[in-house]
Amino acid sequence: MGRENPAEKALGLLRRRLCDPSFVFKPFSDSPDSNYSKLKFIISSSVTEACNNSILLLGPRGSGKIAVLELVISDLLLEFPDMISVIKLSGLLHSDDNCAFKEIARQLCVEHQLLFSKMASFDDNSQFMIAMLRECGLAHKTIIFVLDEFDLFSQGKQRLLYSLLDAMQSVSSQAVVIGVSCRLDADQLLEKRVRSRFSHRKLLFLPPNKEDMQRLLENILLLPTDSTFPQDYTVQFNAKLQNILADERFKDVLNTYINTDSTVNYLLKFLFRAVSNMDLVTGFLSLENFKTALSNVQRQPKLECIKDCSILELYILVCMKKLEIKEQNSYNFNSIMKEYKTVHDSFQTSDYYAQNVCLRAFEHLLQRELISFTDSRGNNQSIEFRPVKLLVSSHELHQGLKSYRSCPAILQKLMAG
Amino acid sequence: MGKEESPQITRRTTRYSSAAVLKNSVETKASDTNLPSLNDLLYGEEGKPISLDDVLSSFPGRKIQILELMHILGPVNCPMVPLFIYGGTFTGKTSITLQIFRHLNRPFVYSGCLTCYNPRILFESVLNQLLLHRKNEANGYSSAKRCERPSDFVNFLREALVSVTTSLRGNSGKSGSKKSDKRANGNMVYLIFDNLELVREWDKSSTILPFLFNLYDILKMPELGLIFISNTSPDTYYSNMGYVEPTPLYFSDYSEDDLRQIFMRNQENKKLYSSFLEVVLRPFFRITRRVDELSTAFSQLYKKYCEPLSDPGVVPNEEMKRKLFSNLQPHIPPSMNDIFKVSSQPSTKVGATKEAKWKSGTKRSGGFEAIDQLDLHMSTSAKYLLLSAFLASRNPATLDASLFDSTGGSDNRKRKRKPSEKSLEQKEAVEQDLLMRGPGTFPLERLLAIFQCITSLAEGLLEEEEQGNDGLGVQGYDNSLMSDVLLQLSSLCNANFIVKGGSCPLEGSTRYRSTICEDLALKSKQKFLGGICKSKWLENDEMEKRAETEETKEGVKQTNTCEKCGASFKKPAYLKQHTRSHSDENYKDAREPVRPDLPELAKARNPTNG
Repeated sequence: MGRENPAEKALGLLRRRLCDPSFVFKPFSDSPDSNYSKLKFIISSSVTEACNNSILLLGPRGSGKIAVLELVISDLLLEFPDMISVIKLSGLLHSDDNCAFKEIARQLCVEHQLLFSKMASFDDNSQFMIAMLRECGLAHKTIIFVLDEFDLFSQGKQRLLYSLLDAMQSVSSQAVVIGVSCRLDADQLLEKRVRSRFSHRKLLFLPPNKEDMQRLLENILLLPTDSTFPQDYTVQFNAKLQNILADERFKDVLNTYINTDSTVNYLLKFLFRAVSNMDLVTGFLSLENFKTALSNVQRQPKLECIKDCSILELYILVCMKKLEIKEQNSYNFNSIMKEYKTVHDSFQTSDYYAQNVCLRAFEHLLQRELISFTDSRGNNQSIEFRPVKLLVSSHELHQGLKSYRSCPAILQKLMAG
Repeated sequence: MGKEESPQITRRTTRYSSAAVLKNSVETKASDTNLPSLNDLLYGEEGKPISLDDVLSSFPGRKIQILELMHILGPVNCPMVPLFIYGGTFTGKTSITLQIFRHLNRPFVYSGCLTCYNPRILFESVLNQLLLHRKNEANGYSSAKRCERPSDFVNFLREALVSVTTSLRGNSGKSGSKKSDKRANGNMVYLIFDNLELVREWDKSSTILPFLFNLYDILKMPELGLIFISNTSPDTYYSNMGYVEPTPLYFSDYSEDDLRQIFMRNQENKKLYSSFLEVVLRPFFRITRRVDELSTAFSQLYKKYCEPLSDPGVVPNEEMKRKLFSNLQPHIPPSMNDIFKVSSQPSTKVGATKEAKWKSGTKRSGGFEAIDQLDLHMSTSAKYLLLSAFLASRNPATLDASLFDSTGGSDNRKRKRKPSEKSLEQKEAVEQDLLMRGPGTFPLERLLAIFQCITSLAEGLLEEEEQGNDGLGVQGYDNSLMSDVLLQLSSLCNANFIVKGGSCPLEGSTRYRSTICEDLALKSKQKFLGGICKSKWLENDEMEKRAETEETKEGVKQTNTCEKCGASFKKPAYLKQHTRSHSDENYKDAREPVRPDLPELAKARNPTNG
């Protein structure tokens, strides 16, 4: 690859950091009351005391539940080698009981160098799991079950959860079940027989506060002061970055972004866009990068769609809006055309086109999903007779017309009145 | 092996050839003996990597998007977060993405959800490409792995990705030693999912979509880049929430200036074409901003524009421009109204992706195009049948009697009174209702009855005109026009002019519905019946009939003979009463066919009905 210039190298490093959740959540692990410490304590105590346990990790999407859990597990694997085996399931993939047992059996086989049979039935697999649990308990090995998207496992008969938790009631087994979910009421979804076997231990993951956010930013964006980069480049880069972070304008940008969602992953998405915009010639991050990233990440899709419409399509939208104002509860293409004709008759616009042209414009709108049919089944009707509805609010339409370049004055007037 | 040369390339070519913007021809492979190698994951086979300037110049008006995309992909070996590219059709999303990969020369796997129409095919196509598997005769055209479930897919995919990335890493390690003409850059592998909006229509979309969006988090492999391409904006996926949103990149529609640049590309006589664009682009731009539709419209107009010129290479001056403009001007408005008649691509007609909409989409355009050729392709009886289907569809069955009743004018006095406000309101409501409901369905019997009326009438009038004698032809049901009606009907059904609706649960027989529009019906009517019987019937469709019944049918002799069954009566009033029984039959007891040959039976039933 030859010699890279430091800017490119720095960019690579920053991007790698942003895509690696374990790096991002590392600094939160040292304080004693962090989720990391609590989780580690619970799991390690159940490993050392050879008991069963179950925990729920709850928190909004992107708050780092899985990342913290992975950190804990990797630490524990170093601490207690050969005493822990981890089985990971995801509700998205294994919400089907049959599939889940198969996957458990597969991972157990991989873990313990056994031969996995694809043909094994549901019963075989579940018995295999219970037998393995017993064997591992006798050998004082702990099996950690990680159930991502825990709420999805509660669909259906919950046979997996039941047999897992039921097996853990016996003294001989030694397992920890960790459910991860973004639904705060995840334990309420469980059946009674499952819930009674579940310990109601929950860890709540909250979005970071202001100071944590600041620490996080510094941790991610500052370059290391060791010898990976030229000394003067690092110093200059970090000084510039500190300036930006202290800047009021940057704080404004950050606050407008975080107001919608203040989870860590959401922030990372923003930082990624900003970092990828970094100018490789100068090699430093600038305030402009963050500003463009904000406009790139926070999009208003409906407004963009309206801006993309042709004038004729705007006419159709406005006609639909007018019909809605008239409180006509359902309308279709034909009634829109009638409205369009009255608009034309009263204002003598230059944009009056034949019906088939309008129909095609109407289809474009359908394709853009600015409007949609109200009934789901087509039941053999032609497009022009099926009732439709607007998918944009009148406010959005108004905004869109205002920001539309060379929007006909009549349309604005029609919208206003 | 050359034949099966990776389906992915043909797929790319088709996507390309449809993009009017792109002029780079995609290289097809010449050598047959290539063993599958990692280079298959690169763009094309012999395609030399192109420079960024080439990419920029081949896509006018897309500079911001291209640079942004390059930024997000980043330098070699940089991990990236999942990317969501969205924008309208014909904005160059797919082609730009692929060309950038050609420029970067990095391995990628492209799978479009249009061709991979269910999860299994999608998964297998990704795996086939990753495992460098080709379907051919030797392996019975089977996929490398059989996998239907997302859970299996994740396991296979992880294996495949690990093997690909390790070999990529091995490649780059010894890149100095072996001199190769072409080598993948970096050890990242990118998965591109095109037409993602179609996934929403799949059966299991509620699990597949969150799964695809979460794929990056599930696999946790920094060497994997995910790119989703969609026609619709991210907010249209919200109903399937359950993932952290990927980072968005928006491809806006082309502006007027962009379009000008696009159309100016590859023009032989740039001056002439630019003067042409001056004239046409602005008005057309108000209708549509899609390159495909504009280019079809322009190609024809440009021919017209050039017609008066003897030498196509001439450089126009001001005066000539003015002349050409005045020459072209009359053609512009009709062409604007025709702009969508010749559709360049069937898929552009579809409003949305549902199949039902599809059907109706094609139906519509079929209707439009048929207007001109109607004369050539239809027999007279088919035309009459079409007309009667139209009438049956647009009119309620209760009005049939007054429509085809020769004594329809008898109770005119009652209706002639001034329309009160209330009745006007009612009329409006009815009109509104008709606009909303669309064409209704009708049983076969009603269609045949109306058809009979029309044919008998037309026949009679024709004879009258031709011979000038008293050929009334009221008993016209055994004439030639009635032959093979059912055959005609089925052929009309095949042509989508008439569709079979659902069968009525009470009657059990199939009901039909005509899909032709009013324009078509009017046109065909004028052509076939022109002048013979005025526009009486069709005015009825516009629901003005009740007010206008005083306009007696010209050319129809007043006779007290029923047109359906041939029964004759002393007074018009009896006949009217009788005719009503026919229309009632249609929903009271439609299984019983109209029996024109048994007048006595009809008479016998008459008192009970009346």
